[in-house]
Formats: sequence, C-alpha cells, structure tokens
Amino acid sequence: MTLDDLIQQPQYSVPQAEKEAVLLAELTRLGQRHRERSPEYARLVRILFPGSADPHNLAEIPYLPVALFKDHLLSSIPESEVFKILQSSGTTGQTPSRVVLDRETAQLQTLALSRIMTSVLGPNRLPMILVETADLIRDRRQFNARAAGLLGMLNFGRNHFYALDTNLELLLPQLKDFLHRFGGGPFLVFGFTFLVWTRFCQPLVDAGLDLSNGILIHSGGWKKLQEQAVSASYFRAALREAMGLTRVYNFYGMVEQVGSVFLEGDDGYLYPPNFADVIVRDPYTFEEVPPGQTGVLEVLSALPRSYPGHCLLTEDLGVVHAVDPSACGRFGKAFSVLGRIPKAELRGCSDVIAAKVS
Amino acid sequence: MQIEMLLPQERVIALEELRSLLAGTTAAEPFDGSVVDASIDLSQRIFHDPEARSHPELLALAYWMRKAEMIRMTAQFRALQLDHRVLTPRGLVFHLPPRNVDTIFVYSWLLAALTGNRSVIRLSPQRSESTSILLRLLRETLAAAAEPARSGTTIVSYGHEKEPTEMLSALCDARVIWGGDQTVEIIRRSPLPPHAKEITFPDRYSLSAIRADTYAGLPEEKRDYLADQFFNDSFWFDQLACSSPRLVVWCGTGSETCAASADFFRRVAGCVERRRYVLPAAASMEKLVYACSAILNSPVKECRRYKGLTILTLDSLAGFQRSHPGGGLFFEAHLGSLAELTAFLGRRDQTLTWFGFTPEELHALVRKLNGRAIDRIVPIGQALQFHRFWDGYDLLQEFCRCVYIESTFLDVRPTQTGAPGRS
Repeated sequence: MTLDDLIQQPQYSVPQAEKEAVLLAELTRLGQRHRERSPEYARLVRILFPGSADPHNLAEIPYLPVALFKDHLLSSIPESEVFKILQSSGTTGQTPSRVVLDRETAQLQTLALSRIMTSVLGPNRLPMILVETADLIRDRRQFNARAAGLLGMLNFGRNHFYALDTNLELLLPQLKDFLHRFGGGPFLVFGFTFLVWTRFCQPLVDAGLDLSNGILIHSGGWKKLQEQAVSASYFRAALREAMGLTRVYNFYGMVEQVGSVFLEGDDGYLYPPNFADVIVRDPYTFEEVPPGQTGVLEVLSALPRSYPGHCLLTEDLGVVHAVDPSACGRFGKAFSVLGRIPKAELRGCSDVIAAKVS
Repeated sequence: MQIEMLLPQERVIALEELRSLLAGTTAAEPFDGSVVDASIDLSQRIFHDPEARSHPELLALAYWMRKAEMIRMTAQFRALQLDHRVLTPRGLVFHLPPRNVDTIFVYSWLLAALTGNRSVIRLSPQRSESTSILLRLLRETLAAAAEPARSGTTIVSYGHEKEPTEMLSALCDARVIWGGDQTVEIIRRSPLPPHAKEITFPDRYSLSAIRADTYAGLPEEKRDYLADQFFNDSFWFDQLACSSPRLVVWCGTGSETCAASADFFRRVAGCVERRRYVLPAAASMEKLVYACSAILNSPVKECRRYKGLTILTLDSLAGFQRSHPGGGLFFEAHLGSLAELTAFLGRRDQTLTWFGFTPEELHALVRKLNGRAIDRIVPIGQALQFHRFWDGYDLLQEFCRCVYIESTFLDVRPTQTGAPGRS
C-alpha cells in the first residue's frame, strides 16, 4: 500500500496494524526528505533525537512541538516553489503560526479533506447552511483562521446560505425558506462549535423546525462550551431534541496540518483518517502512554511535503479509548481531545504580573 | 481609595488612615531585644508548624533566623559600629517583594526590622500557600511580641494600582524593589522623598562552575551529595529564583569535562526522579519548545533529555543569550579554566555556585572581573541561602544611615593677629 492508496481507499477502513506499517515507511521517507531539504529540521532532529533515522514504530519518529511554527518558518522547499503561507493566530492568540505550502502539499490537503468529508457527506455537493455571517469572508482585512476553515468547507456544499447577520443573530425567516426549499433531502450544516451552540441551537430550541435531513459538521474546540458546562453528549442531545438533527460530526484539526482532520464517528469519538494517526505521550517523559491514559496529543500526517510538520506534538490533552473498535464500523484509534494543557505558572524572582500591567 | 491590610489586623483600610497609622510609630534601636526575640520566635513557630514543615523553603528561612544566627548577626552588627561612626535606622522601609518567591518578604522585612526600621510591605492579592502560612505565623509572632517589635510592621495587599504605591513611596525613607527589571521600572515612576534611598533587585542570571579533575577525584557518595545540593539550588523554585543556576561551566580538559558532566547530570536526573519533582505539564512542554528554539538560535551541539531535566551543551559561550524557561533546563559549556569565563560574564550575572576551585582561583576571578559581573560566589548547595550580602549590597548597612561623630574636641589655639586665614 502507498500513500495514494491510503488516500483513495475508503477512510477508516484500514486496520491499525496495517496502517501503522504503511505510515511508518511513508513518514520515515518523509522525514528523510525534510532532513535533506530543511537544514533547521535536520539540525533539530540530529540534536534532539540522535539515532532516530531508522525508527521501528510510529512513536520513535522525531516530533516537533507545534508552537515552534510560531517562532520559526520551517520550510522544505525553495522560495520559488512557495504556493502560499498559511497563517493562524491559534487559540492562544499572540504570535501566529506560519506554514509554508507548495502546490503539491496544497493539492494533497484539498484531496485529503474531501476524502474525509465525503465519507460522511456522500459524493455529491449538498445544499449548505453556514452558521456564520457572510461578512467573515467578505472582509479580507479580518481574514483569520475561522475564515480559512470556512473557505475549506465551502467546496462540499452548494446553494450556500449564511444563517447569521452581521451581529451574529440568526436569520430565521431566511432559514425557514432554505428548509422549505432543501429540507426534504440531505443538506449540510457547517459552523464553529460555539457559534452553532449559542447562535443556532439555542435560538431554535422552541422554533419547531425540522432539520432531521441535515448533517452538521462543526469544529473549533469545546473550551467555551465547557465553561457553560455543555458537554459533547449534551450538545448532541440538545440538537436532536430541538430540531431532530442527529447526524452531528465534530472534527479536530489545526492549521499546521490542514487537510488531515480527525472526524467524529457515530460513537462520538474522533478517528484519524487512513493517512494520519495520533499518539498520546506523557508530558514529562514524552513516552507513549497506553490507551485509556491521558497525555499530550501528537498528530501524525503523511500530507506535509513542503514543511516538516508531519509529526507534531500539540498543546492539547487527549486520550485514546480503543484501537480498531468495531462499534461504529471504523478502524484505527478512537480518541478524544480533552482541551488545552492547563496554563502553568512557575515560581521565581520576576514578578511577571506586575510587569504585564504597566 | 481603600486597600486590604493584612497585618497588624486583617481588614480594609483607607489610604488616608494608613498614612496616619504609618506616621504614628517610631523606629526602634538597632538589634533591640524585642525584635531579635520576635525573629527567634518566628523561627520556632515555623519549625513547629505542621503546615510549614512540608515546605523546604520555609524551613530554610526558619534555619536562617534561628537563635544562633541571630546572635551571630547581632555580633556582626556591633562590629560595624565604630567610634566615629554610628549606624542608625533609616526610618520607614517600603518593601515590594516578588510574588513568586514566597520567603523573600520575610528576609527583606527581618533585615529592616533588626536594624531598627519600621516596615510597610506590599503583597500581591494572589498569594501562594507558603506565603499564607508565613503571614499567619508572622501575625501570631508579632501579636505575642514586646514593643517596639510588636507595632513596627504593616503589611498591605493591593493589585497594580498606582495610588497606594505613590503614597507609600512618598512616605518612606527607603524603598526595596524586588521582582525584576520591569517591576523596578514601573515602581520607579512613583517618586521618593529627596532623602530616601532605593534598593533594587533587577533580573539576574546565575551559573555554576565545576572543576572537572576535582570532581573526578570524588568518591561516589560525595558525587551524590553534590548532585543533591545542586538539585536543591535549582529546583526549589522551579529554577526561576534569580540565584538558581541555569548554566553549568565545566573547567578542565575536553575528556575530563565530558566525563564529569555525563556522570554529574546522570546523578542530578536521579535526584529529580527520587525527589519526585513534578513540573506542570504546560511548563514541561514550554521547556521542549524552548530547547527547540535554542537549538535553532544558539550554538547548541548536543541535547540530553532526562525526565524533568534537559541539558543543552553549547559549543561556545560567545553571545550567550540569558533567556530561560525554568523548570529544569541547563545550558552547559566546557572551558579550559575558570579564568576563561571572565570574557563571557556581564552585569546580569549574580551568583556563581562552584565546586572544586581553590580560594585563589575564586579571588582571582573576582579581581579580574573588577565589578563587571557576579555579586556572590558560594559553594554548590548555597545558591538559595539568603544572606545580608546580596546582589552586591550589604543589607545590614543599606538599611542604616551612617552618622559620623568626631568626639575629640580640638584645643583652642590663640588667634594670631593679622589677615584672617582663608577657609
């Protein structure tokens, strides 16, 4: 099996052991390629992971902390081949991450995302509700990660309807028109988790609308919802009760590995696509921890060719629940993201707080 | 405006009332018995408090202010008093201790109090467990103390409001600013009375130097002991105390220093494991990110990673950046001799903890630096031991005015007639 096969085959169809063997070969090759083309990556790997040129399993492949892309532009292509530089503020704000893409990687990302999404949407473009304001992509000055994520999803829909106005209020009459026209067949709803909850689900609680033919895809993290004590299962139950929406898929992804997103299965767990994987590591030893144990999530993807981002240690905590569970018909690791690693404050002589407020 | 008062009573106090409260008290005589007794009493209370006992930094504080030490310090102060020079209190000392090294406010207060000063201390509204323990014990101590020790100390707490800092600065005779460059810069915007003195503790950097051949001559148990001492120096305050080492310099030939470093850090890693040092996960991640950046930005040639401990070996100290994430990350460099270190040291460098050098080598280093760098040279294991000599100050003297007395009256000579002499 090759990378191409992994992308072309139905997603979530490859048993973990088989997938690991293909990914190990693929990611080792990819690592070699980045070592040859990115002096920074070669230096990091040589010093941080001596003797790692020939890894025996996925956990032995060198990884980089994702935050490194904030301070360093790591590239494996000559400047002439740069197609675009993705930029994201990330959820922590401050310095943006920068990710260098060439045409090949950008195309791979588009293809890969489509393979993942069509696994739940089917092959045809569906009428699409965007739980967003149309201003988001109209105003290029405010073009941010949210807008980039939205643009990536537009391809999977047609007859796009932006359900929120400038003030992020729900356009109820227009939504009713949309449902009148398309509600009888399958349609796609996309939005960021927090907006879906506050601006879509809650206003529709007593509206009596029928969205049972809808497929909701949402992303953006649970942090704000957790603050309101809204869990994933409560979120799903509320959507079901309010509007009959039962096909709800959360996904986890990041600008440093675009295209390689982790989409929720019907069992409520996230799954890596065929060409990607996750490893949970102990935050102190950085050794892999067994399923059931919480740790720092590492994300692996065979897509990044133009930058050494194929193995990245995220700033999120996660846990693998099971490998190749048969419950929802998917193979691979069933996992959850438990949110950001809580911020730490160390002691010391510098009174950082006093310094910040000046 | 009102702020929180923590001592002598816990209550809200208006700034105006605080002003009159502080104006009302007078200084004590240096090393007044009541103050010395209160120090010893506080030391005892820390030693016997079940909560305090689980904090090693509190025990170190208690040890530092125990009876034997107070007797020694009293004698040292007497020795500073000369026939023609009397050290007297400055008056009111305004302390701004750092939020994150919990014990500093007591050290700062105690030296001011022993020298007879009254103190007003500003604590952050966010207080650690050990700060709260100290506050409780200090409150008990002072409530039981005799005058003048009993009423010379006021502790208040407020955020970053300028008003209380302005008022207390205008009122004090000396201001002590801990907490680094930016804090010093911010607090300095509040003016002091013309006569007042300021003592500042800006951002500092500290390092260790070990002579490899002496280390190689140590038996096993002494190497373990040294590693243990180094662990205490480094990890008590997550390696963020200004005197905790962040760079280790090995002196000797190439093969000696490499062997010593490998042996030493293996033992330190053992301490980290044995003492169950736990860093918050985010800090551990930050350390990894910092190590990656350092590898890309500095001449790092090797990285050794143990659980909770990262060592980055530098090819050269030229242009060495003194940024640091804390939490158990060390740079190391290999030099032929201690003397070679002088070229790389600067004003920010505070404490040099050492092992294996002769007194001559250490003195030669200080003379060669000639005030350019390094305020403290102590053996490994004493990095955090607070001392009246700190950051280039002798705090016992800094907290005093120095009154000059010429007590011999010169004989009057008959005035000669003629042109008056010029004076």
